[in-house]
Amino acid sequence: MRVILAEDSTLLREGLVRLLAEEGHDVVAAVGDGEALIEATAQARPDVVVTDVRMPPTHTDEGLRAALEIREKWPETGVLVLSQYVEKRYAAKLISADGGRVGYLLKDRVAQVGEFLDALERVAEGGAAFDPEVVRRLVARTSHEDALSRLTQRERDVLEKMAQGHTNASIAQLLYISQSSVEKHANAIFDKLDLPQAAGYSRRVLAVLRYLGS
Amino acid sequence: MIIRAARTTAGVGLGALTALAEVLYVVLSAPLLVVPATRRVVLRGARKFADVERARLFRFFDNYISDDYDDHRALQYLFLRVLAGLLGLGIWACLGAGVVTAVVYGRQLVTGRAPGGQGAGTVADWLLIAVPAAIAVFLCWQGIVGVAELDRRLAKRFLSPSYRTLVERRISFLFNTRAEVVEAVNDERRRIERDLHDGVQQRLVALGVLLGRARRTGNTELVRQAHEEVQETLRELREVAWHVYPIALDESGLDAALESLAERATIPVDVRYTLTEPPWLSLATVIYFVVSESVTNAVKHSGATRITIDVHRVGRKIVVEIGDDGSGGARTVSTGGLGGLARRVAAADGQFNVDSPAGGPTVVRAVLPCA
Repeated sequence: MRVILAEDSTLLREGLVRLLAEEGHDVVAAVGDGEALIEATAQARPDVVVTDVRMPPTHTDEGLRAALEIREKWPETGVLVLSQYVEKRYAAKLISADGGRVGYLLKDRVAQVGEFLDALERVAEGGAAFDPEVVRRLVARTSHEDALSRLTQRERDVLEKMAQGHTNASIAQLLYISQSSVEKHANAIFDKLDLPQAAGYSRRVLAVLRYLGS
Repeated sequence: MIIRAARTTAGVGLGALTALAEVLYVVLSAPLLVVPATRRVVLRGARKFADVERARLFRFFDNYISDDYDDHRALQYLFLRVLAGLLGLGIWACLGAGVVTAVVYGRQLVTGRAPGGQGAGTVADWLLIAVPAAIAVFLCWQGIVGVAELDRRLAKRFLSPSYRTLVERRISFLFNTRAEVVEAVNDERRRIERDLHDGVQQRLVALGVLLGRARRTGNTELVRQAHEEVQETLRELREVAWHVYPIALDESGLDAALESLAERATIPVDVRYTLTEPPWLSLATVIYFVVSESVTNAVKHSGATRITIDVHRVGRKIVVEIGDDGSGGARTVSTGGLGGLARRVAAADGQFNVDSPAGGPTVVRAVLPCA
């Protein structure tokens, strides 16, 4: 896939460029700030962009703002945001936009190369990828606690994995249960959270996340 | 003593003359006080008179009064000061009459006539005159001293800030510096967070990526790079920890901490440290951070090739100067590192200033009181 990287630490940027190249991806541009990211995206129209949140010049949320702009202008481009810490606000902003092709990972997760590449692929393919830590926070501090308290522990586990962007098959594998029981749990969750039945993987994730993050 | 007495007498005399001018001013300008438009002009004029009086007090009575008063106080002062001045005029009139009398009697004494001029004078006659003359001299002198003292007290009462004002100022100063210290502490925490997240964490993530690649490709060269990267990360962590608090300050003192700071800088730093006694730890910490932040700024922004650190004592103050030969143009903005330093120094009752013209050189100076 064609990727653009935005990361202000040269060391990490170079490392990621090499990694993605070794994995057979085409890194069309690697930049150090939000503006350059938007320019590069406008020119190269990549499949997915990976961006750090905190970049020059203000070192606050340049990357996130660039990511939101990219989502708005080029919805077919996947956006994977890397953050130094969990910021519920950021996650909520990314989620509230329509469609999939979005991910929000803690930067530490990048060191788990496998997870990072996996998340990147999911986002590029139209899915979602949210950091387990982000999801945990969203689940733990949701304003819909009544609804959530009706879930069983197992259903919570499934919801968490679902929110991270895993498919039913991979949830089944992760939780050591059968795929049909994952489907059963998922339906129970939707019922309990009063969510309408929806087909399609990314819409499901986003619906759940939107509900949790609101 | 005679010179002093003459100065005091002259001062009171001059005060009498200024009083005449002030009487005119007060009487003529009093109606204008009612009109808001002219009121300010009158008050400003009163201030001018007060300035003249202050100069007189300083010149003749060695009494320094600062210009720390407002125009209203100046006008109030003027009203009462006119009375003291007129009293001085009266004393001077007595003095003049005394001098005239003394001259007349003196001529009669020299020519051998009796006091008053009729017939030949005897010793008894003159003794009778000498007693009231001595009393008159004494009274005149007391009058002069009294008016001078009255002048001084009036000026102090009206033109010097009152104890209450001073205390209020001190409280508001402490209030501000306290808030600023909290702000400075927060700034530092922010900086530490940045150092950790943008420095150490990035390195660790990059290291993770490196090791991940090594595992996926089986390339041992990557493992070697990762190993080197671990060393770098450890070095950076040590730097960050040192930046948070240089433990050498506690263990070996300020001079050692400054030496170590100089050694770690990437451009040559000369340290001149001439304190014979080590300062209190809290003061040493302020000095250390003034130096450390200034050196960091110089290295980062000024393009200097040489930095000098000078810590010396002048009387009851410690002077800290950090100079560099860089491009200058450093500014103390509240959010910057220099702003944080200014707040730290203010909290230690010190003065802080940055002299950094465009084109350089830059000198950062902190003057801190010490016991």
